[in-house]
Amino acid sequence: MATFLCLQRSLPTGDDASAEPMSPAQMQEMYAAFGAWQQRFADQLVDLGGKVGDGTVVATTDGPFVEVKELVGGYMVVEADTLEGAIEVASACPGLVRPGSGVEILAIHRP
Amino acid sequence: MNLPGDPAAWRHTYGHLVASLVRRMGADHLADIEDAVQSALLVALERWRDAPPDDPVAWLYRVAHRKVLEGLRTRARRGRILERRPGPEPAAPENPPLAEELGDDLLRMLFVGCDPDLPPATQVVLVCKTLCGFSTAEVAARLHLSTANVHKRLQRARARLREAPLHLDHVVGARDRLPAVQQVLYLLFTEGYLSLHASEAIRQELCDEALRLTRLLGAHKVGRGPETEALLALMCLHRARLAGRTDGFGGLLLLEEQDRSRWDPALLGEGMVHLAASASGERFGRYHAEARIAAAHGLSPSFDATPWQDIADTYALLERLAPSPLHTLNRALAVAELNGAEAGLAVLEGLAPPSWLSGSYAWCAVRADLHRRAHHPEEADRLRALALDLAPTDAVRTLLARRLSPVSAPLG
Repeated sequence: MATFLCLQRSLPTGDDASAEPMSPAQMQEMYAAFGAWQQRFADQLVDLGGKVGDGTVVATTDGPFVEVKELVGGYMVVEADTLEGAIEVASACPGLVRPGSGVEILAIHRP
Repeated sequence: MNLPGDPAAWRHTYGHLVASLVRRMGADHLADIEDAVQSALLVALERWRDAPPDDPVAWLYRVAHRKVLEGLRTRARRGRILERRPGPEPAAPENPPLAEELGDDLLRMLFVGCDPDLPPATQVVLVCKTLCGFSTAEVAARLHLSTANVHKRLQRARARLREAPLHLDHVVGARDRLPAVQQVLYLLFTEGYLSLHASEAIRQELCDEALRLTRLLGAHKVGRGPETEALLALMCLHRARLAGRTDGFGGLLLLEEQDRSRWDPALLGEGMVHLAASASGERFGRYHAEARIAAAHGLSPSFDATPWQDIADTYALLERLAPSPLHTLNRALAVAELNGAEAGLAVLEGLAPPSWLSGSYAWCAVRADLHRRAHHPEEADRLRALALDLAPTDAVRTLLARRLSPVSAPLG
């Protein structure tokens, strides 16, 4: 198993005017995604998912690290066998994937 | 910033100036700072009639800053004469804060005001006064307190900040105060949303103040996170519906009577973006639950299309997260829509409400409604009379009379 860091990033949209009002269908989709997330808490309200461990991030893959402070909205650490597996997990998380944002996935190498 | 003529801009400038001066001079001087800002604004009103300065905020900052220093020096001199000891003088840069520092200053002041040793109601009063810029009388009117009570709370708060001034440089790192800050903003919002205040404008104003400060919190690293996103979501989603809740003549409308085309689609969209952003992490909190319920209502194209199952489930979750008989009462209503009035009454079976609830119109009105729909005429009429009696305002009484038509009348 490898550990991946999934960073949520705002995607450049060009100009603000390009932000079209959301369609009812889009909103319903987001509502459903939230409901699916909430479902995880229906039976158990604590200890879901893995916490970010104490391990220090010593190295990451190459990548454009654009002002993490300004652009990164959220993060999540996932364990997966492959990068594809990590992408699958990250895609299922409505907190990370939403209009106007994308996810950057970095492999974390522990010493 | 254009000030003249826009009362909200004046109020916000008051908040900015107080927050900036508190950051530079210390929260222990809060009372002096507020007085100085107030008198600087009065001077400005006098002098700016003909031509306001190029940078009104910088001008106001310098005048207020000088006034605080003058006051402190006078007091220090008096103190030295009486007690023969040197008085401290806070150093503060003369230069007005940069525009990009204002958000930081406001947030710092918010964190300073949310002192865990102060009761939440006092924290809300302090925020209304110092950051929203309402006068003592305005705060009293908006929060349903007497002016004397507001005055007393402010005095206590200032005394507390004097004796235990928080080190401002550390505030922004003080994430342990974040829940208190969120709670104050939540209370400010619900005060506006559920207020019994007759004026719709005043209710909107409180909601907008809460939303303004929460947006600031959500945009800053100290406040960013799933809980703040959920709080923003619930505020946007409720605020989007606020205009549809009244009939334009001060009367309240039932959910099923509201014209959904009057709801604000841009705010609904913004709320949904925050709702999606809140779905992250390992905690599901009460703001998450309340945001979900607000979304369920906000996205329904009609009353009949309301996803009552989702709402009932989420209230059940809320009952476990933040136990309150009010949540049970709300769940009973959702269950009644879902499975009929008898099922709704069954939810309330065995619930012994605390006195604040049993003596409220809401408790009587909900049960009157359920008994009416379950065809228990005697109980319904008894509770209806009680509810009408307990209604706090005429608008609520009119609404109840319409909803709880006597059982002999056909169902509406």
